[in-house]
Formats: sequence, C-alpha cells, structure tokens
Amino acid sequence: MSDRPGILASLTDRITRVGEGAIGTVRAAFDLVVLFLGTLGGLFRRAGRPRGAVVEQMHIIGNRSVVFVAVTLGFLGMVMVYQTCLQFNKVTGDFSQVGVQFIRLIVSDFAPTLTGMMLATRVGAGIAAEIGSMKVTEQIDALRMSGVLPVDYLIVPRFMASVVMTVALTVLGGAIMWLAGGLTAQYSFGVNPNIFYDLSLVTGVHVGLGLVKSLSYGMAIPVVAGFCGLRAKGSSEGVGWATTAAVIGASFSVIVLDFIWSILGFMIFGGSL
Amino acid sequence: MKDAKASAGPVIEFRSVAKAFGGKPVLKDLSLAVGRGEVMFIIGTSGVGKSVTIKHLIGLLRVDAGEIWFDGQRIDQLDERGFYPVRRRVGMVFQNATLFDSMTLTENVALPLRKLGGLRMKAALEQARVRLGEVHLTEFADRYPAELSDGMRKRAAIARTLATDPEVVLFDEPTTGLDPVSARRIDRLIRELADHRGATAIVVSHDLTSIFTIADRIAFVYQGGIRALGTPAELQASPDEVVQQFIRGKSSGPMETPGF
Repeated sequence: MSDRPGILASLTDRITRVGEGAIGTVRAAFDLVVLFLGTLGGLFRRAGRPRGAVVEQMHIIGNRSVVFVAVTLGFLGMVMVYQTCLQFNKVTGDFSQVGVQFIRLIVSDFAPTLTGMMLATRVGAGIAAEIGSMKVTEQIDALRMSGVLPVDYLIVPRFMASVVMTVALTVLGGAIMWLAGGLTAQYSFGVNPNIFYDLSLVTGVHVGLGLVKSLSYGMAIPVVAGFCGLRAKGSSEGVGWATTAAVIGASFSVIVLDFIWSILGFMIFGGSL
Repeated sequence: MKDAKASAGPVIEFRSVAKAFGGKPVLKDLSLAVGRGEVMFIIGTSGVGKSVTIKHLIGLLRVDAGEIWFDGQRIDQLDERGFYPVRRRVGMVFQNATLFDSMTLTENVALPLRKLGGLRMKAALEQARVRLGEVHLTEFADRYPAELSDGMRKRAAIARTLATDPEVVLFDEPTTGLDPVSARRIDRLIRELADHRGATAIVVSHDLTSIFTIADRIAFVYQGGIRALGTPAELQASPDEVVQQFIRGKSSGPMETPGF
C-alpha cells in the first residue's frame, strides 16, 4: 500500500518518457520533410552553391563507389544465379527461364535496390560524418553567419550529385550483375548464353519502375544522411551517433521506398510486372 | 565619453531572456543592455550560458521567453531570412575559429564578402587579401586552415568576421587555447575595434587578463541571470563573495558549480 505513490510516479514517468519520445519522432519526421522541401527549393537557388561542388560530389559519391558497387552486385548476381540454377537442377533441370526472369528482376528491383543499399551505407556515412563534424565545430553556424543557407551549400550539391550517380551506378551495377550471373550459369551449369541473355520479358514498365526507385533512393540518401549530420550534437561522439543514424536511416528509407514503389507498381500495372 | 555613449541608448538589449535545453534551464531571467562603442565582457564559469546568450543575438538560437532588441528593433521573433540584415551588422568570431576546411584562407574571408557584401568573386578575393594583410596573414593567404597554427586560424577567423565591417562583433572565448602573446594581440585588436572603428564588442571570456585589461564593463553570469554588472574597478570592489571567488580564481567559496 505504501508503495503505491512510488509505482504511480514511476508509471507516470514512463508514460511521459514514451510521450516525449513520440513527440520527438514526429517532430524529427516533420523536420526531415522540411529539409527535403528546402532541398528541392534549393535546386532553383543557384547562387547558394559553391562553384564546382556538384562535379566534386559526383566524383566522391559516384566515381569512388564504382568498384564497391560493381564488386558487390557482381558477386550477388553470381550467388543468386548459382542458387537458382541449383534448385532448378534438382526439380526440372530446365534453365531456359533463369536468364529471362533474372534480368526482369534486375531491372525492376535488384539493380536499383541493391545499389541503393550499398550507397546508403557508403555515401550516407560519408555525408553524415562530414556535415556532422562541421556542425559540432560550429562551421554550420559560421556558414549561416556568412550569409549562406547550409541547405543550399551542403545538401543541394550532394543531392544533385547523388540523384545522377545513383541512376548511373544502378545501370552499371545491373549490367555487371547480369553479366556475372550469365557467366555463372554458363560455366557452372552449361546454360547457353543466347538463352540466358534474353531481354524479351523486360518491358517499359520494368524500366520505369526501376528508374523511379533509383531516382527516389538517390534523393533520399543525401537528405536523410544530411539530416542526421545536421542534428549532430556535442563532440566526436555526436558525429559517431550521426554517422550510425545516417547509415541505418538511409538503408531503412531505401527498403521502405522499395516496398512502397513495388506495391504501387503492382497495384497500377498488376499482371504486366 | 562614457556619458555620450550612454545617452545614445543601448545598441543591444536583452529583456528577461529565458532559454532551456531539453527541459534544463540555462538562462532563467537575463537582462542586459550594451551601449554603442562599448567593450562588454560576459564572464562566468563554463556551461553557465555565456555563449548561449550571445548566439541569440544573431538568430543561431531562439529564446523561450523574453525579448531581444537591436538598434531599436525587436529581433527575437525574426525568421532565418529576417536575420540576414542583422547578421550583416553583427558579426561573430566563434570559439573554434571555424574556418571552412575545404577553402583557402582567402576563400574563407571572401565568402561573407560575396554573400553578405554582394561583391563579385574577383573583387571579394582581392578584398579578402587586404583583410588578411591587416591581421598579418598575407603570406598564408593561399594555405588551407589545416596547415596553420591555432593562433593563425583565429586571426583568419577574425579577419573573416571583420571583412564586412560589422557594427557589433561577438567574440566567443577569443583567447582560449592561445599562447599569451597571441592572446594579448587579440585583446589589442578588440580594443582597437572599439576605439578606432567605433564598433561594439561583446566578448565571452574567462581570461582574467583580457577581462581586466580591455573591458569597459563586465557582466557576470550566474545561475541563469546577471549577478553583477559594472566596470572592472567596480567588480573588483564588489562585496559579493561569489563575484570575488570568480575574479580571484579561488577553488573554494560560495559559488555553486555543477559537476564539481
């Protein structure tokens, strides 16, 4: 009986903490949307961008990720085709559908999403660490004091570079995945390349869906990572937090966007997918 | 001289400002008026809210309650763009120098000249070199911040802030981490700013030498408000034991310092 006020107090305390957490999350989501809209607005404010920043970021985000994306998607293509052929071998032994279905999936899903995931980790961490350390050393405040909008200066160039390079890397990654898968099928299971490399099932719908996914990942990764960087607090620990949050947040947004676009695609195009 | 400054009215006024971070109050009821052309020192222990106070003046932080006035205009309710004209007139030298790593010193100084001053790239770079010359950094103009010493970086950051000739300059611990010679040079620069250019300087510091060498007036921040305000001589003669403990740098006394 005497414990009751204590239990009540701890319960109220817990509810308050949950409530505060929920409010914080909603506020963060709102801030993220504001940042995204601010970034879109920044595309039309050319004066705010440092000269040559977009090209420099394209190099950092795109060129420096080529090997990483190519190797990862190449190996994944080999593993996927090997496993598929292995299973087909046990059941029917007919490999005629492997290549034709594989490229359909690569175009509409594997290439954009796997490339997006890879870039979410590599690019997301880089952006968050850089912007986060600028935040904790007050460089962002100094930018504002110099009459520069941090969004225009830091996020917009990365956004533009990321959109272009994510699409470019998706095309490259998809091609390598297809090629690696084909070689695996040919050398491990003796599948005829003429049968494997068959594009007849790929339609404009697949290409469109893949492109939309790729574009949306390219937009989401720098905004989410930049958002985490801008929220870094304190010192190096804050930068570490921002980097981790950026990798998780950017990867998560790629998966959620993949889910949303896949569902929408299925609802709109149904059987033609 | 002091009377003439006072009659012009304060250029900056904090009225009952309150600010909390994550439910923890830092400023509770802070009121302070700073006169034109004055060198005002804001002193106090670490974490007491000195930097927080001055960051409100340029819109880097927003008040929870209270008002801030700059040159007859209320500024605490302005939005980011609304602060642009204020930032043209009020400059800030940050604690960590905060030069942009990816730019040379000249480019660093040229940035506010282009963005706030409206100069073209070429004119801004030329002007930036002149400004760097004023702080004796001409030969390092094309170096990157990482290649320079702390004192040089600080001087470059000051050149960047002064490039647009602000009427009010905020210094956040300008001499912290510098050798005594560099520190006294910075002190002299702040004093000259007020005496020769007529600028107002608000300096956050706990460097006792600076405080008692160049301050016109000193505001002592304690427990979320101004505990004492006056000239260096007045503060030294203050009967308040908390003030005495701080300005004498005693480790024991009535002052409450969280965390110790």
